[in-house]
Amino acid sequence: MAFPKPQATLRSATGIPTGRLAVWWLLASEVVIFGGVLGSYLMHRLGHPEWAEAASHTNTWIGAFNTFVLLTSSFTAVLAHQAAEKGDGKKAAGFLVLTIGGALTFLMVKSYEWTVEILEGFTITANGFWSFYYTAAGLHALHVIAGAIIMGIVAADAYRGRELQRVELIGIYWHFVDVVWIFLFPLLYIAK
Amino acid sequence: MAEHHDQHGAHGAGHDEHAGHHPNYKKIYFTLLGLLVVSVVGPVFGIVWVTLISAFGIALVKANLVIQNFMHLKWEKRIAKWFLTASLVLMALFVGGVSVDVLNHEGNNWENIAAQAAVERGLAAAAGEEVVEEEAAEPVDVGFNAPNMFNLVCASCHGAAGDGKGAAGLALDPRPANFTDPAFWAERDRARIVNVITNGGASVGRSPLMVGWSASFSAEQIEQLADYVETFRPGA
Ligand code: HEC
Repeated sequence: MAFPKPQATLRSATGIPTGRLAVWWLLASEVVIFGGVLGSYLMHRLGHPEWAEAASHTNTWIGAFNTFVLLTSSFTAVLAHQAAEKGDGKKAAGFLVLTIGGALTFLMVKSYEWTVEILEGFTITANGFWSFYYTAAGLHALHVIAGAIIMGIVAADAYRGRELQRVELIGIYWHFVDVVWIFLFPLLYIAK
Repeated sequence: MAEHHDQHGAHGAGHDEHAGHHPNYKKIYFTLLGLLVVSVVGPVFGIVWVTLISAFGIALVKANLVIQNFMHLKWEKRIAKWFLTASLVLMALFVGGVSVDVLNHEGNNWENIAAQAAVERGLAAAAGEEVVEEEAAEPVDVGFNAPNMFNLVCASCHGAAGDGKGAAGLALDPRPANFTDPAFWAERDRARIVNVITNGGASVGRSPLMVGWSASFSAEQIEQLADYVETFRPGA
């Protein structure tokens, strides 16, 4: 696929390469999306003392384990970035594959957790707490899935030594997904 | 515009001064794991402020470590920080702006009956009390009041005085019925009024602009609305 790149991808008028600027721009919009969901949840939670009862049914250990998984995957993502900057595409791809492994582990744990909860009758319509629980964590899980797919594409290129700058870009996105979870964890699991 | 764009070539990261900063990632990673342990252990003591600090304070510290060191925002050009801050501020404005309405369940001129009832039901259930079924079964009846309901939904067309001169009614053709007109009552009885409110004007060959309300109100509530409509009748 050898076609010329659009001019914009080659310049950096702001001092930031265009691709990375675009990622920041995307994240700025994500801040509003997740901020809106989490802010709304927080307000409703404070206005509904009775939600504490519902929240007491979430499993802190599963939440903590998934936090561990995401922190670890952020670590491998940044190691991939470091390798890419040294020009080592194979190593970068290897770290990205580890990161994808983290994403899959996270999703498997999440499916187990949700299955148990749904079977206990805690469905998305059970009450306001559970609505926010599935909406916020579900939106986050969709980001995990999207990230894993994009990382697969970036890793395949990086392995052949192509488009190494993208390793950093997907990494920035991935760390953001991690940061969102860092806030979801205390909001949904610890505050009981 | 400067003609001199950085030509980064295929890799796009050629002269990027931001590149090459690699703090000790392993150290940061282990710090993050340590903080995670603290945030799980903190709430075990059941002391509110310890929980708040260990859960939310530590989340802020962790997020900051990731953002500065893993996302490299520390070394990023200022413009990126500016627009991320801008979107944070906009988000905070939104949350702050609506918070008074969401956090409270009543204000000077309003009351969120459903939310209040939900809190009450939830707290009762949590305390192990029997939830009274009737309360949950007929939520619509909570606070139904025919004059209020008329002013809320009918008055826009029929006017609060029932004279057919509501703000929206003035624009309609035919005009909404005038309940203060003796001629109106000369041709209509109680059953007719109830029927029209239930099934709409079209059901009796009148204008479909007067819709039926059977989906919104119970038969009992419609009787109450009809009672109220009759209070406009001259000499009633
Ligand atoms: C969208 C405007 C609108 C609203 C809202 C509205 N109406 Fe009407 N209503 C009309 C119009 C227009 C007529 C006249 C129909 C005709 O004469 O063909 C009418 C006629 C009536 C009549 C007399 C029907 C007859 O000719 O026997 C009654 C009674 C009535 N409305 C009651 C109500 C009540 C009670 C409500 C609130 C639950 C209500 N309306 C809400 C527009 C409205």
